[in-house]
Amino acid sequence: MEDEEVEKTRASSMEVQDPIAQKKHAAMLERLSNLHQSRLQQSTSRRSATDSSSPAFESVHSFLARFSDAKRSLEAELRRFHALAASSGDAKSQIRPDLEKASAAISDLERQVAENSYFLPPYEVRSSLKTIAELKESVESAYADILPRKKFSFRSKASSNKVPTVVVQGAEEIIVSDDANSKLIARGSPGLRDLQNAVLVKHFSGEVEGDFTLADLHSCEVYLKGRFGALFIHRLRNCRIFAGPVIGSVLIEEVNDCLFMLASHQIRIHQAKDSDFYLRVRTRPIIEDCSRVRFGPYRLCYDGIDEQLKECGLHEETGNWASVDDFRWLRAVQSPNWCVISEHEFVGVTDISGLEEKNEIHGLST
Amino acid sequence: MGLLSIIRKIKRKEKEMRILMVGLDNSGKTTIVLKINGEDTSVISPTLGFNIKTIKYQKYSLNIWDVGGQKTIRSYWRNYFEQTDGLVWVVDSSDVRRLEDCRMELANLLKEERLSGASLLIFANKQDIQGVLKPAEIAKALNLDAMDKTRHWKIFGCSAYNGEGLLEGFDWLIQDIASRIYVID
Ligand SMILES: Nc1nc2c(ncn2[C@@H]2O[C@H](COP(=O)(O)OP(=O)(O)O)[C@@H](O)[C@H]2O)c(=O)[nH]1
Ligand SMILES: [Mg+2]
Repeated sequence: MEDEEVEKTRASSMEVQDPIAQKKHAAMLERLSNLHQSRLQQSTSRRSATDSSSPAFESVHSFLARFSDAKRSLEAELRRFHALAASSGDAKSQIRPDLEKASAAISDLERQVAENSYFLPPYEVRSSLKTIAELKESVESAYADILPRKKFSFRSKASSNKVPTVVVQGAEEIIVSDDANSKLIARGSPGLRDLQNAVLVKHFSGEVEGDFTLADLHSCEVYLKGRFGALFIHRLRNCRIFAGPVIGSVLIEEVNDCLFMLASHQIRIHQAKDSDFYLRVRTRPIIEDCSRVRFGPYRLCYDGIDEQLKECGLHEETGNWASVDDFRWLRAVQSPNWCVISEHEFVGVTDISGLEEKNEIHGLST
Repeated sequence: MGLLSIIRKIKRKEKEMRILMVGLDNSGKTTIVLKINGEDTSVISPTLGFNIKTIKYQKYSLNIWDVGGQKTIRSYWRNYFEQTDGLVWVVDSSDVRRLEDCRMELANLLKEERLSGASLLIFANKQDIQGVLKPAEIAKALNLDAMDKTRHWKIFGCSAYNGEGLLEGFDWLIQDIASRIYVID
């Protein structure tokens, strides 16, 4: 019966539309029907492939009903955790696995919202996500109640490594496509690359610099005075990096045994090991695939830095340096990969006002 | 559910488009979404998971999914493919080193069958930074000319900081989707 009606719809629309519109219309119907079919298929296969703990929801109503059930039972669990935590020290250890379970259940719920968002009106999606955020917060506070934050203390490796006093001015425009076959266009991106055992001082005054790259440095000390649009840091070993404010973001990948002092809107750190980061950031720093990294506050000083920080919106200490998000550790418990540097171990305020940019290279083979 | 109810559903949801923002982390996806929505872009945290925004654009209601781009969660992108009308692939024009990564991830994404009908808008973002790659250079690096001929795509230079190029890009995308999905009225 339905098909008949469709035929009618089609027939009547044919009369009024020009051929192009007709074709588009037909294509649209086909596309929609394909999409719908694949959705149906998916949900049936999902239903048969998984047990009742991960059902597919075909309607707003059934989704919301299940969602609120899950929410209620999680809330009850969380209340129980809090009560137990208050009662005796003994019960605490038993809560831990339950908390992890609750945590996993919340993640699962979040995934279900994403999967079923097609059926859900935007308002329901938003409110479901809000509920999930609240549940997560609640789990987090339960963790805090029963398991006081562990104190981490990694050895400070990156602290003081004396490097030879070689002064070098930036060798620029050396980026080349490393694979001749790749169609990548190499651009003379400003930066310092492929250097060892050097003290590198760059002084930028006036305009905000564009992007700047530090790559493939070994046992170097780098001082960058000035403002940058973006900073890219890649493959450093045993280096100490001090830089003025970055308006955009800093992206750090593959560094070992280093110390960084950086201020930026955003900082993302990937594959870093045994390194210390002294940061001022407008948002929470991100780590991913890192281990034994530690964090402290930005303490760089040179003539005019206050002015520059202000211009970049970085004059206020946000405290974000101590709230690192580990994207590899999506649980409410503290990530084992990072910790805060204890105050008595902080490096002193680093004043580089006196450092002059020098152009000579002393006995340096590059 | 037969064809007719599909049509009914479409009628109800008419003028709604679902758009997926993707690209490597740090390329500026979240900043772009907030900028076109007229929101403050000065304190944006890296995205863990996803954000959804519904934005009125011309006479359409855009359902924009902004998905985190870091390595850890790229494999989850596929959770968001269903019903996608438009893809926005954002490139950080200053990040030369990861261009190859960027090219590979885009190529992978476009293999996905569920996205085969989606229009593709590529943003060469951060054009406000001096000396960055131009859209034509990005197009070359990403080998866009080699793309499947049935794909509708276009690249625009833009800056999520000063807003340049954003509207041109979205105008093209919305028009392209509209002319495919909704019979032009
Ligand atoms: N200079 C400049 N920086 C930008 C632009 N768009 C985004 N950014 C910066 O790039 C970083 C990453 O942006 P975000 O939107 O979080 O990227 P996402 O990971 O793709 O969502 C942030 O520090 C932004 O301020 C732009 O057009 N120009
Ligand atoms: Mg984001």
